[in-house]
Amino acid sequence: MLQEEKKTLTEMDADRKIERSKAVFREAVERFGPDRIALAITGGKDSTTALWIARRACEEMGVKLPLCMFIDEGDVFDEILEFMARIKKLWSLDIACLKNKDVSSKARGLGDMVKVSSLDEANQAALREMGFIGEEFPLMPDSTVCNHLMKTVPMREFITANGLAAVSIAIRWDEQAARRDEDYFAARANPLHTRVHPILHFTERDIWTAIFRHDIPYNGLYKQGYRSLGARCATGRASDMPAWMQDMENTPERVGRGQEKEKVMGQLRALGYM
Amino acid sequence: MKIFKRKKNRKVVVVGIDGAPCSLLRDYMERGIMPGLKEMCAGGSLLKMNSTLPEISSVAWTSFLTGKNPGEHGIFGFMEIDPETYEYRFPDSRSVKAPGIWEKNGSRSVVFNIPQTYPARPINGVMVSGFVALDLKEAVYPERLFRELSAMGYRLDVNAQLAASNPEAFFRDLFETFEKRSKAIMRVYEKEDWDLFICAITETDRLHHFFFDSALEGRYYGRFADLYSRLDSFLKEMADRAEKDGAVFMTCSDHGFTEIESEVYINRWLMENGYLSLSGGEGLKGIERQSLAFCLDPSRVYIHMEGKYKKGTVGKSGREELIGVLKGNLRDIRFQGKEVIKEIFLGEEIFRGPYACCGPDLYLLPNYGFDLKGLTRSPRLFGTTRFRGMHTYDDAHFFISRDFERENLKIEDLAGIISGFLECPCAGGLK
Repeated sequence: MLQEEKKTLTEMDADRKIERSKAVFREAVERFGPDRIALAITGGKDSTTALWIARRACEEMGVKLPLCMFIDEGDVFDEILEFMARIKKLWSLDIACLKNKDVSSKARGLGDMVKVSSLDEANQAALREMGFIGEEFPLMPDSTVCNHLMKTVPMREFITANGLAAVSIAIRWDEQAARRDEDYFAARANPLHTRVHPILHFTERDIWTAIFRHDIPYNGLYKQGYRSLGARCATGRASDMPAWMQDMENTPERVGRGQEKEKVMGQLRALGYM
Repeated sequence: MKIFKRKKNRKVVVVGIDGAPCSLLRDYMERGIMPGLKEMCAGGSLLKMNSTLPEISSVAWTSFLTGKNPGEHGIFGFMEIDPETYEYRFPDSRSVKAPGIWEKNGSRSVVFNIPQTYPARPINGVMVSGFVALDLKEAVYPERLFRELSAMGYRLDVNAQLAASNPEAFFRDLFETFEKRSKAIMRVYEKEDWDLFICAITETDRLHHFFFDSALEGRYYGRFADLYSRLDSFLKEMADRAEKDGAVFMTCSDHGFTEIESEVYINRWLMENGYLSLSGGEGLKGIERQSLAFCLDPSRVYIHMEGKYKKGTVGKSGREELIGVLKGNLRDIRFQGKEVIKEIFLGEEIFRGPYACCGPDLYLLPNYGFDLKGLTRSPRLFGTTRFRGMHTYDDAHFFISRDFERENLKIEDLAGIISGFLECPCAGGLK
């Protein structure tokens, strides 16, 4: 996509962005059919907003909402599970919960070592494919290795088992550098499917605008100051202020995620600082 | 033809050895643990060097990379506090206010595992960030390197949490991390195109923090000998490659190390002497209005100034007086009769540049053995924990594969020396 086109899309009003997202979603339904798409949801603000948009698009088209897919990466906030239960009921959703049990059952707790040889063939193959050559790795949902196993492997199996042609994922261009080059539709191999990204053009602020304008449910953790939600062990509050009151334009959203304060503090403490 | 050209461009190679004291390197050469370095010293120069104040990796390596004083690059420690909320803030690569050597010389550079460079930013060359780096993906530039490093099982850092709970697991992790890091460094050295190659080994500092009491003898002496002899092979290999490529070879450390006799908690002292009151909350969040001063790691003392901090009440004239009183009283801290503090510096004496005012009002340099800390919750003034080693301001080192002499060498001088070789490849550079 051209930079200029991206710029125009990013600068639209939140309601026009919703319309644009609906159009992307409609195109996905027309291309693949509602039965061959799954909507990835995480209990976070982006995927909930995307889901709300998808519901509207489906209503307008008179088709049923595709299946929702939630991946349990191994260290999920209770608040996320509660929130999922809440929207499931509110919107009568069909949610498939995916978890890489083979990996998570091999360790008692976070940080425990998992032996590669104890894993099933699908997981071992996934490790080989990413070039991992070690004999063991620690179970840390936010590490590169675990992230790949806990997220990618169950999703692949799910796509294959259900014969899916597309998975819709609520990523945004402004979230992090790695997502800046994404497109609304992107082909993925192994297994062959299409990633649909209906809300790429939303900024963090647009999400909150949409949430408050349309009364979209959101997770209470944001009110406590979390800006972005991931695995519990890798997520911290960015501030005491509710997410929507923070300086979204000048402070990083994924503070509290990865980079992020608790982890920095953990590393510094381990070396005797603080 | 291309290969020939590439090798010709290779001008400077620097291997940082985090926390490696000059005195220890000399001792290990004598003991035969570092024969490679000994051989290198025959054709080069090993000098004692001073760190920065504070003598902390993030500050010292930033001065190394920029050639600047903390007052010019803006990094005074691993954490700062928010003047409104008193919450900790953690400066990262985006907080560094001065350009790195690689930005100034227009040369193609590799900057591998230097602290305070996370997240990695675009560079004409290759960047792999060092401590505190959290996510490998954000720690590499360009992105293509991410796959390569993660495939090698490259680790950003040793898991220091293991040291206290499971020393054997810690050593295993330490050596594996060292092996992976040195392999990754060699690989990037060979595969990339560069004029300037800078890398650092972190594992030395990690071992020192927890076990420095075994550096010369004791239960874990074998681990020291093992790590330093592996390090020696790595250095020799790098030096040989540099020589083959016609590049000058250097090593340096960001500070020295010594054994801890006692930790000393400066905030506790400030509290006991009526300069600081804290109600609950993490760190300094619960600071009360009547507080006159507080300390951030390791021994940066800040006056709680009105206008600068939300609850600050000390005015300009009060500041001068308070500094005088604090200087006098802090000097009196004794541990079993021994003077704890060697020297007290005023911020304006040691920091210069546009950000000097962001630095501490006072900086306390301890005598060897007394590890000053900014911890806020210690019930006592003195204590020992799982840590056995502390940084020193002097006794860092600099090695160069040339004849070289310099009085009072300090780490911020190195950028100038490196630049000299980049500009004058005929190995002049030195005056």
